[in-house]
Amino acid sequence: MTGSAFERQQLTASQKLLQIRWLFVVLVCLAGGIGGVMLYSAANGDLNPWATRHLVRFGVGLGLMIAVAVSDIRLWFRYAYVFYFVCLALLGAVEIAGSVGMGAQRWINLGFMNLQPSELMKIALVLALARYFHGVTIEEIGRPAVLLVPLLMVAAPSGLVLRQPDLGTALMLVIAAGAMFFVAGVRLWKFALVFVCGVGVLPVIWQSLHDYQRQRVLTFLNPERDPLGAGYHIIQSKIALGAGGVFGKGFLQGSQSHLNFLPEKQTDFVFTMLAEEFGLVGALGLLGVYTLMLLYGFAIAASSRSYFGRLVAVGVSMTFFLYMFINMAMVMGLIPVVGVPLPLLSYGGTAMVTLMLGFGFMMSVYVHRDVVLGRRSSGEIL
Amino acid sequence: MTEPRQNGLRDTDQRPIRLEGTRSRALDVARNRLLMAGAVFGLAFFIVAVRVIDLTAFAQVPRAGLVNDAPRPVVARGDIRDRNGVLLATSLPTASVFADPREIIDPEGAADKLVAVFPELNRDRLAAKLAEDRRFVWIRRNLVPDEQHAVNLLGIPGVGFVGEERRVYPQGNVAAHVLGLTNVDGQGVAGVEQSFNNRLGDGDGVRLSIDLRIQNAMREELQAAVREFRAIGAAGLVLDTRTGELLATVSLPDFDPNAPGANEDVRRFNRVTTGVYEMGSTFKLFTIAMGLDTGTTSLRGGYDASKPLKVARHRISDYHAKNRWLSVPEILVYSSNIGAAQMAMQVGGERQRDYLGRLGLLSRASIELPEVGAPLRPSPWRDINTMTVSFGHGIAVSPLQLTQAVAAVVNGGILRPTTILSLDGAPPPAGERVFSASTSRQMRALMRLVVRYGTGRNAEVAGYKVGGKTGTAEKLIAGRYRRDKRISSFVGAFPIDAPRYVVLAVIDEPKGNKRTYNYATGGWVAAPVVGAVVRRMAPMLGIAPVMDDESEPVQYRTKKAREAALRVAIGKTIARIRGSQLASN
Repeated sequence: MTGSAFERQQLTASQKLLQIRWLFVVLVCLAGGIGGVMLYSAANGDLNPWATRHLVRFGVGLGLMIAVAVSDIRLWFRYAYVFYFVCLALLGAVEIAGSVGMGAQRWINLGFMNLQPSELMKIALVLALARYFHGVTIEEIGRPAVLLVPLLMVAAPSGLVLRQPDLGTALMLVIAAGAMFFVAGVRLWKFALVFVCGVGVLPVIWQSLHDYQRQRVLTFLNPERDPLGAGYHIIQSKIALGAGGVFGKGFLQGSQSHLNFLPEKQTDFVFTMLAEEFGLVGALGLLGVYTLMLLYGFAIAASSRSYFGRLVAVGVSMTFFLYMFINMAMVMGLIPVVGVPLPLLSYGGTAMVTLMLGFGFMMSVYVHRDVVLGRRSSGEIL
Repeated sequence: MTEPRQNGLRDTDQRPIRLEGTRSRALDVARNRLLMAGAVFGLAFFIVAVRVIDLTAFAQVPRAGLVNDAPRPVVARGDIRDRNGVLLATSLPTASVFADPREIIDPEGAADKLVAVFPELNRDRLAAKLAEDRRFVWIRRNLVPDEQHAVNLLGIPGVGFVGEERRVYPQGNVAAHVLGLTNVDGQGVAGVEQSFNNRLGDGDGVRLSIDLRIQNAMREELQAAVREFRAIGAAGLVLDTRTGELLATVSLPDFDPNAPGANEDVRRFNRVTTGVYEMGSTFKLFTIAMGLDTGTTSLRGGYDASKPLKVARHRISDYHAKNRWLSVPEILVYSSNIGAAQMAMQVGGERQRDYLGRLGLLSRASIELPEVGAPLRPSPWRDINTMTVSFGHGIAVSPLQLTQAVAAVVNGGILRPTTILSLDGAPPPAGERVFSASTSRQMRALMRLVVRYGTGRNAEVAGYKVGGKTGTAEKLIAGRYRRDKRISSFVGAFPIDAPRYVVLAVIDEPKGNKRTYNYATGGWVAAPVVGAVVRRMAPMLGIAPVMDDESEPVQYRTKKAREAALRVAIGKTIARIRGSQLASN
């Protein structure tokens, strides 16, 4: 153990604050601010009902993010499984006590807020998988039996989320977990095997899908099939994007959005509205902000000395990337319509706070990048 | 301290590297995997960026393309005007509302909203239309601005407007049959709209020979007659005998071309050009003209009308029977079938056919309208046909053909093609001579006698010297002539000394009333119409009345007195005609 590494484990809270990558925080605030502006526009130039609440939630998330960033990574390492099982239990509770919203059971009413356990699970799964792979050597990963536990860890929440039913979140859980498996060093042929098996069970999955989910897939494969129903969103979205042009129609000037041709403009289709009002320039600008944020995630992953930290950074980055990519690809008709919000812009509390919590873990990884963690326990220093 | 797992670049910087197999492999794997994941992210970002650029900068907005596909008139359809430039038909820009059913989210709801604006639409049919798998359906054509505003307020996505034009007929029913109709796509489907469709479609105007004032006078007088005599219809014409221009052509009942859908087909029937009728006694004009023109007879000649003619199984009798020998003028004035039949027999069937053919009565009339009926003629043409045709039975022609032929009788003997277009001062077509000028002059004198002393007295207009001939034909219905269903007509010409205009009025199935002593003959129902029209149109055309002995209206207390006066007048007429013939020789 080197001196410098030892010292970093003993940092005070104020020293940790200085370690935070503040430029990343600025990027997060920029994205959240753009979100506030777009929600102001979505309400036809009104702070209510969305913009104010979005910014308040963003503030809460920001505080949470900083708090987690300076908290000790070993604490989270130790309680990773606990956090995972709590979330799994909450997901199970949704099955029983969840209130039905938008045709799917996704929320638990905690009295003071509605909690969406599936969102929390995205981070909890990242932490739990990171902890598991941290304790496995590269040789052990070659053994199928070793992979059984993490596969179950992915399958349990995915299955519960799919039952709600929430195809988008389930896919995100699986893909984010897949990325962690990949970085952890699972052999490529095993991914190929999973892919082949996946194709094999596709008919079975198809059978279990809900009608509206099947419709979405079919509509994606042939958008002209149902231009009035499921295809309507995408047609209107494309019209809005095209109407924006290179420089956009100007703030508050998007006719597609403001005349309500564009559905769900405050949530899933906020990117379309941004592109209509600020054009190609605005859309690429946002994409640039996201890219920088993602690069930070990778830099943090690369800089972490602990396997746990690296996997957490990769997992959070992947989750963030999936949010962004799925949403943008969906509103531009590249993939089927799935209800995934645009990170930090879309109106909706749990997803944003969850993501910022994830960013908090990621920054904590950076702050504690030199902390050495034991293979099985939360580290021998404590 | 157990062996911690230590990977990462920083780690290698700070420690001496032990190239132990497991460690280096783990290192390589982790680094490669991160790089690969980064590459996948990069690719995904690239795809998103390309798509953003494609959709924003190179978008083809589908809505715009759709509107461009819709029919849009390039040139406004030309106006139709009367001979004085009064607007009869024009095109106004309007908006039509259509839907792109694929963009209609809720066809049922949209139909409900649209029906609230257009109560005349069938809701279920509209909903079905909006649910079709198509990109374009019409909802309603040619909206008024209020309706367009109301549709805009509905704010239904997938519903849009197309600029169109709507045909407007400012004069309504007045010249409906001449003007005809356009369909919803602006193509002429009847009347002048159809026959000059290409010209109008190119944006050129059409100027008709119709004089709206005379057209309106004729229509009003015919309407009054139809009302008074509870007729089923009427036809009226005013023809310029020197040029062949039609100044008025009225068919009743008529329709409002502005609301074509609201009219029954029977109203669209043009009695002037499409309808062919057995015209009755007006044909005697042609018979006597033939007799005079061929020299078969003269004004001094006469025929035995003391008793009905029996030909084979047929019996020809007179309506106003005098039961005596009648002179040629008397045959016309008293409208004797017996006399006309004998005269025709003398002329002969072949020459009769020849004359009728040259008068255009045996073939379809040539006029610039699509609705032209073919005449009905006897076949074979036997003696009995020659006789019945001489007084206008057994042959059916359109009122237009009759007017054309009468014009040739009175205008000096020349048949000119009738036109609906204004010649605008251009020299009229030369025409074809059918009768000699002398025959025409004698016929005019006889026609004047009919109005002054005979069956056409109700057509007399002080100062305008109307000449003419009545006609009353029983309609042949299901093979039998019906006394109660008649075609009553009067064809007049004025001023008879040098007739400029021929005026025809035909009343279909008039019923007599108290005022007419239950008569429903041409003299009672049609002659007054012609008289009234002449009275109204002459001042419009600047024809001054000429007051002399012959134009003073005279009333005779008894039939006998009138017959005596007629005999005197015939004598004077013959003397005058001979005088003028001697003078011209």
